[in-house]
Amino acid sequence: MRHDMPNSEHAIVVEQLCKRYGTLLAVDGVSFTVARGELFAFLGPNGAGKSTTAEIIETIRAPTSGRVTVLGMDVTRSKAKVVRRIGVLPQDFSSFDRLTVRESLSYYAQVFGCDADVDALMDLTHLRSKANARFNTLSGGLKQRLGIAAALVNDPEVVFLDEPTTGLDPHARHAVWNVLKGLKDRGKTVFLTTHYMDEAELLADTVAIISKGRIVATDSPARLTEQHANHMWLTLGSSDAAAPGLIRQMGFDATRSSDESIGVPVNNADDVRAILGEIERAGLSLRGMEVRKPNLEEVFLKLTEEHDSDAANEGSK
Amino acid sequence: MTPRIIAANLTVRLKSFYREKSAMFFTLAFPVILVLVFGTIFTKPEHLNFDLPVQDLSHSAASARLLDALTTDHTFRITPVPAGVDATQYAREHKQNLVLVVPENYAVLEAKRLGAGDVSVSVRLMYVHDPSSTSVNTKIQVLDAIVAAMNQRMTGTPPFITLVATSILSEQYRFIEFFVPGIIAMAIMTSALGNALNMNAELLQKGILRKLATTPITRTDWLVSSILYQLILSIVSTVAILLVSYAVFDVRLHIGAWLPLIVVIEVIAFVGIGMLLTPFAKEAESASAVGNAFLFPMMFLSGTFFPVEMMPPLLQSFAKLLPLYYVNEALRAAMVFVDDAATLRFAGVAAGFAAIVFVAGTFKTRWDGET
Repeated sequence: MRHDMPNSEHAIVVEQLCKRYGTLLAVDGVSFTVARGELFAFLGPNGAGKSTTAEIIETIRAPTSGRVTVLGMDVTRSKAKVVRRIGVLPQDFSSFDRLTVRESLSYYAQVFGCDADVDALMDLTHLRSKANARFNTLSGGLKQRLGIAAALVNDPEVVFLDEPTTGLDPHARHAVWNVLKGLKDRGKTVFLTTHYMDEAELLADTVAIISKGRIVATDSPARLTEQHANHMWLTLGSSDAAAPGLIRQMGFDATRSSDESIGVPVNNADDVRAILGEIERAGLSLRGMEVRKPNLEEVFLKLTEEHDSDAANEGSK
Repeated sequence: MTPRIIAANLTVRLKSFYREKSAMFFTLAFPVILVLVFGTIFTKPEHLNFDLPVQDLSHSAASARLLDALTTDHTFRITPVPAGVDATQYAREHKQNLVLVVPENYAVLEAKRLGAGDVSVSVRLMYVHDPSSTSVNTKIQVLDAIVAAMNQRMTGTPPFITLVATSILSEQYRFIEFFVPGIIAMAIMTSALGNALNMNAELLQKGILRKLATTPITRTDWLVSSILYQLILSIVSTVAILLVSYAVFDVRLHIGAWLPLIVVIEVIAFVGIGMLLTPFAKEAESASAVGNAFLFPMMFLSGTFFPVEMMPPLLQSFAKLLPLYYVNEALRAAMVFVDDAATLRFAGVAAGFAAIVFVAGTFKTRWDGET
């Protein structure tokens, strides 16, 4: 797990962060750093503590213990200074129903006391055509894009986006991704909270995975898949009932999925050749095959399941 | 506290208010409609005027004199009831709450009493009435008074005891003059409390507070802009009520320095109560229910629509615990009775209450995501 020593290159430093709600320890000793200019994805299943952690860093919630600094400033003691240098898209962003897109952005600009170029912000988030539409008439995707634009009115150095694509259709998700890529290109530090692995894999420089309030892995998506899933994934198109059993007899873990395909984790090309040869020798049918590297989603599932079972074992002792 | 931020919040809230037609209606039009409706219903004409069906079985010059006496000051408008009709049946069928029957021998008996001077002779005028009617008692009292006056005149001597009325008011006031200050107080209360509750519930329920908590807006900025917004609405609402009252009912009210001061006190009091009630109203629906549970008893028990003195002693004592009672009394003392000492007394109690609930509400109001 990567956890660099804090230094001036870090936009965000989280140290031994805890948040307790009554008897529930929602965040349990979380530590990580986010480098300036990187897009950092914070992943976790629902209820893992990712939004609570994000909201503490965003100055929305107060920590029970631990320390968080953003751009070198303590978020609890220097909240007023921190909020001027960050931009936040909170989870389920909402704004004043009867204000138009342009009025909403002008309002946030006035609140920050900055001369934001509202037209440029609308262009960046592809909202220019909706400039005079009221918030309560916008679709979910447009509301999220307005939220992102509102998070940028003060030209922040660090941008927090808490589940920006949840509930959006594929077109709207891609539109938001393009905005995020644009932010990264402009050198902003982006802290992205999401439970979409494809989003993190596509956009993030660094990923941190949280499960049951604890960080279980932090690294780049590529290194995480390399470290935690050092196998390849062979998918065979065969409806032959004997095929999975035959592959298992060879010592591989074969599982048939609902679309009749058979999934087999393999270590190298020799394993693939051996399995294909055995199927041919047995005279079993084969409609097609695919070999691919495992993705972040599989790493995420593996790590969170491992952590869940470790936590369950600790609890039963 | 940042004036720029307060101005931004104020602009947002006024724009939202202007664009929400139902809020416009309930804040501005509804109190005006109440003034028009209640003013029209309860403002008594210069002279009382009642319909009185009379079955004159005597059909004589004497009975004609009696009917003349009943209509002399236009108190009663006589409707003749045919002689062959049962008076009780007539009252039921024609939905009349009072029918007077002049007996057939009225002229004969009058002649014996007045002509022959036989003081043992008297006449009985029967009236059929509906005791379930709310206005019949007034009509019977008026009828009694007219009959008593006729009897007095028949004695030929002037009355010994007469009543002379002196009003505690410097001018003759009507119901509408007492009603308008109550409606002003009610309109400010519903607007201040309702807006404070609904706005806070909207901020919490829709998550706007989470966004605002990550901006330079402070709790003080937000509260000051809320108070200013509510003050503007209250001033507009008060002016609208007064303009309509002057234009339609030609009210005679004293508009002085006390009025804006009491408006400010009331706004602070009910915005404070709204802040205190917010934890019980985290959603728009429950905000409305909580608001109504608080507003309606206050509205009816604080002397807005009728004097507190009309209520049983227990409810009168309860009314004196309600802040709206002191606002109502302060406004009436200032605008109707022009009594500075009483105004100061009632406004002082309301101001003390406002200070307590506003300070408590400020401490209770959270300005972060810890909800």
